[in-house]
Amino acid sequence: MGVYIGKRVLAIIPILLFSSLLMFVMIRVGPVDPAEAYLAAAHIQPDDEVLAAKRHEFGLDQPLLTQYVQSVGRLLRLDFGHSYLSNMPVWGEVAQKLPATLQLASASIVLALVVSIPLGVLAAIYKNRLVDHVIRVFAYIGACVPVFWIGYLLMFFISVKLEWLPVEGRGSVQHLILPSITLALWLIAIYARLLRTTVLEELKEAYVRYARARGIKERVILYKYVLRIAIAPLITGLGINLGKLLTGAIIVEQVFSWPGFGRYFIEAIINRDIPVIQCYIMLSVCVIAGSNLIADLLQLFLDPRIARKGRASQG
Amino acid sequence: MFASKGKKLLQGLLVLLVISMVAAGCSSNNTEKSADAGGAQATKTITMAWPRDIGPMNPHLYNPSQLLAQSMIYEPLVSYQDGKLVPALAESWTLSPDGKVYTFKIRSNVKFSDGTAFTAQLVKKNMDAVLHNKKLHTWLGMIPLIEKTEALDDTTFRLTLTESYYPALYDLAVVRPVRFLGEAGFPEDGDTSKGVKSPIGTGPWVLSEYKKDEAATFTPNPYYWGDKPKVDKVVVKVIPDAETRVLSFEKGDLDLIYGEGLISYDAYKELESTGKYVTKLSEPIATRNLVLNTMNAKLADLKVRQALSMGFNKEAMVEGVTLGLEEKADNILPPNLPYTNIKVTPVKYDVEQAKALLDEAGWKLPSGVDVREKDGQKLELELMYDKADQTMKAMAETLQAEWAGIGVNLKITGVELTVYIQRRKANEFDMNFYSTFGAPYDPHSFMTAVVQPGYGVSDTLAALPMKAAIDKKIKAAMATTDDKARTELFGSVLTTLQEQSSILPISYIKQMAVYRDNVAEFKFPSNRDEYPLHGTKKN
Repeated sequence: MGVYIGKRVLAIIPILLFSSLLMFVMIRVGPVDPAEAYLAAAHIQPDDEVLAAKRHEFGLDQPLLTQYVQSVGRLLRLDFGHSYLSNMPVWGEVAQKLPATLQLASASIVLALVVSIPLGVLAAIYKNRLVDHVIRVFAYIGACVPVFWIGYLLMFFISVKLEWLPVEGRGSVQHLILPSITLALWLIAIYARLLRTTVLEELKEAYVRYARARGIKERVILYKYVLRIAIAPLITGLGINLGKLLTGAIIVEQVFSWPGFGRYFIEAIINRDIPVIQCYIMLSVCVIAGSNLIADLLQLFLDPRIARKGRASQG
Repeated sequence: MFASKGKKLLQGLLVLLVISMVAAGCSSNNTEKSADAGGAQATKTITMAWPRDIGPMNPHLYNPSQLLAQSMIYEPLVSYQDGKLVPALAESWTLSPDGKVYTFKIRSNVKFSDGTAFTAQLVKKNMDAVLHNKKLHTWLGMIPLIEKTEALDDTTFRLTLTESYYPALYDLAVVRPVRFLGEAGFPEDGDTSKGVKSPIGTGPWVLSEYKKDEAATFTPNPYYWGDKPKVDKVVVKVIPDAETRVLSFEKGDLDLIYGEGLISYDAYKELESTGKYVTKLSEPIATRNLVLNTMNAKLADLKVRQALSMGFNKEAMVEGVTLGLEEKADNILPPNLPYTNIKVTPVKYDVEQAKALLDEAGWKLPSGVDVREKDGQKLELELMYDKADQTMKAMAETLQAEWAGIGVNLKITGVELTVYIQRRKANEFDMNFYSTFGAPYDPHSFMTAVVQPGYGVSDTLAALPMKAAIDKKIKAAMATTDDKARTELFGSVLTTLQEQSSILPISYIKQMAVYRDNVAEFKFPSNRDEYPLHGTKKN
C-alpha cells in the first residue's frame, strides 16, 4: 500500500511540470506580449524603448529554455511574481483572497452532501413514483442550467421579490446562503442521481436478500448496510468535482460579488495580468491533482483491494 | 465499523458547515445597511456600486486606483465646467505672452484632510513627483514639455514649458496624474510611483471606512474649503457584475447607478419602463467614429468613402443597436466641446447616390454577381472591432448587411483588445472604430491623434492630399495664445476632415444615470472622469 501511495504522489510531479510547460508555451505563443500587457495594465504608452526595458526586466530577451527553467525555479519557491496591476506579490494577494473562496467552497460541499444524500435515498426508495420523478426532474434541471443563471434567478426571487436575503456581498451567514446554494446545485444534481443508482444496485445484492431473510427491518438494512457502501462513490466524485467546483466558484463569486480568488482571477484575465493567471492555473492544477489523489487514497482505505490489484497487474 | 465511519464523516461535515457559517458570521463587518432603508435615520447616505475596488487611491497613478475615488479625494488646480476652465485650487492664473510661463495664484484658505495647509510648495512637490516618472505620463501632452516648476512664495506657483502649448490648462484639469497629495501622504523617498502612505487630499471627501474588494465609505472632509457635500456618507459597494448591480438597485440596496457601461442598454430601458426610478442621459460626451484607412488603395478614393458614408442608414443603426441611448452623430467631435461647434452638412442616407458614386469611381457591378469589381479586383474590405464590445459587434454586422446592398463585401473581424491595439498602432486595418476622448481631453487629444502616428488616426489619413496642411494647422493651433485664431484653425481642420469622409461619425456616446426618487439635485459632471456626488442630495 505504501508503494502505491508513493507512486501516486510522485505521479503528480510530471503533471505539474507538464502543466507549467504548457502554460509557458501558451503565454509565449499567444497574441499577448507580457511586457506589453504590463504596460497596458499600468496605462503606459508602449513605445519601443520602454517595451525593450520591460522585456529585459522580465527576462523575455533570454533564450526560451533559460526562461522556462527560471520560471519553474520561481514556481518551486512559490514565487509567482508581482501583479502587473497592483504591483503587489501575487502570492500575498492570493493568500488574502483564498479564505473567502474556501469558505464558499466548503459550505457548498457540505450543503451538497447534506441535501443530495436524502434526495438520492428517497429517489431510490420511491423508484418510479412521484417523489422519484420530482427529484429526477430537479436533478436534470440542476445539471443543465448554467450556474450564473441559477444565481440570477435566486437573487431575483429570494432577494429582490421576497426580500429574504441580501443580493450580494460577504459578511454574514445570510450572505453565504445564496452563493453556496448556487454553487452546490449542480453537485446536488449529480450526487442525487449517483446515489439513487448505487442504492438501487446495492439493494439487489445478495447481502440485502440475506438480511431480509433474517427479518431485519427494511429501514435498518437501508441505513446500516446499504447507505454506508453507496456513499463511497460520492467521495470519489467529490475529488473529481473539486476542480469543477473551483471554476464554478469563479462565476458564483462574480455574480454574487463574493470577494474571493475567482473574482481576482476574472479581473486578472480582463487586465491580462499574467502572473496572476499563472498562479491561478498552477494552483488549480495542484488542487485537482491533489484532490484526485486524496479521493483515490480514500477509496483505497475503503477498499484495499485496489492497491493489491495495482500490485498484481505489475506482476 | 463502516456505519460508524459514515456517521462520523457526516458529523464531521456538519461541524464544517457550522464552522463555516459561524466564521461568516464572525467576519461580518456589518456592512452598512444603507440608511435609506429606514428612511427616518438622521444619517443621509448615498449608496452606489462600482465594478472594482477603489484601489490604493494614489493621485499620481492609474489602474488599479479608480478615477471615482481619486476625483472624490484629490483636486486639480483648474477645473473643467461646461466647456470652460474655471478656478479650483488655483484662484487665478496668468500666461506669459510667449505662451510658455503659467503663473498660478494658489487659494490660501485650502487645507488637506489632515488639517495641514495647501501651499505652492506642495504644488511643486506633487508636480515634481509626477515628473520624476515622466515616462508614465507622456500620453498627457503637457508633461514632456515641462521645463521648470517653482514655488515663488506660499501662494504663487510657476510652471514653465519649453514651448507654447495651449492644452496645458486642460491637462491640469484631468483627474490624474496632476492632483495633490498632502505632505503626510508622501513616502519617505518622495517617489509616489511606488505608492502613497495614505490618501490625504484637499477634496470634499475622505475615506472613512474601507474593506478591500467589498465596500468603501466616504464622509465629508471637515476641512473642505468649498461648499460642503449635501449628504453625510457615500458608500461605494464593489459589485463586478452588471446584472447584479441592477438587481441590487431594484432591491433597494443602491440609490444610484452612474458610470459608463455600468449597466446594459437593455437594463437601462427595463428600469426606465418600470416608471419607479429616475433615468437620465447626459449630453454627448464623445463620438463613436468609423475610421476608413486611406492607405488602402480602394479607400484612398474620396468617392468610395463618400459612397460608404451614404450607403448605410445611420439613424436606424444607432437606434437599433443602442436602443436610442446613443444619438446619431453628424460631427466627428461633439459640438459641445471647446472649438468644435462647426457647421456640418449631415450626410443623408441615399443608396442610389452611393451606387452612382461607386460607378463613377470605376467600381462596376457586373450582372450576376453581388460584389463590385474594378481592374479584376473585388470591392472587399475588412472592418476590425474589439470582440468584447457588443455595440461594436452589432454595428459591424449592420454595416456588413447594409454595404452588401451597394455591392461592397465587408469582412468583419472581432479581435482581442491587445491585438486590436497592436494592429491599430501598426496601421494594419482597412477600417475600425474610434471613439473620441471627451472632456477635458478633446479637441486637443483628437488633434494630437491626427498629427502623431500610433494612435490609429494619423496614419489612416496619410493619403489625403491635404494631410500636411492639416498637420500644420493643428500645430499652429496648439501653440498659439490667440483663442480666435485657434477657433478658426481647429474649425478649418474639422471641416476638411468632415468633407474628406475618412472619419465617419456614427453616434454620440452618453452617460447614463439611474437613481431612486429620494436622490435629488443630481447633475452630470462636465469632466468625463469626474463623479457627480458633491452636489447630490438625499431626501
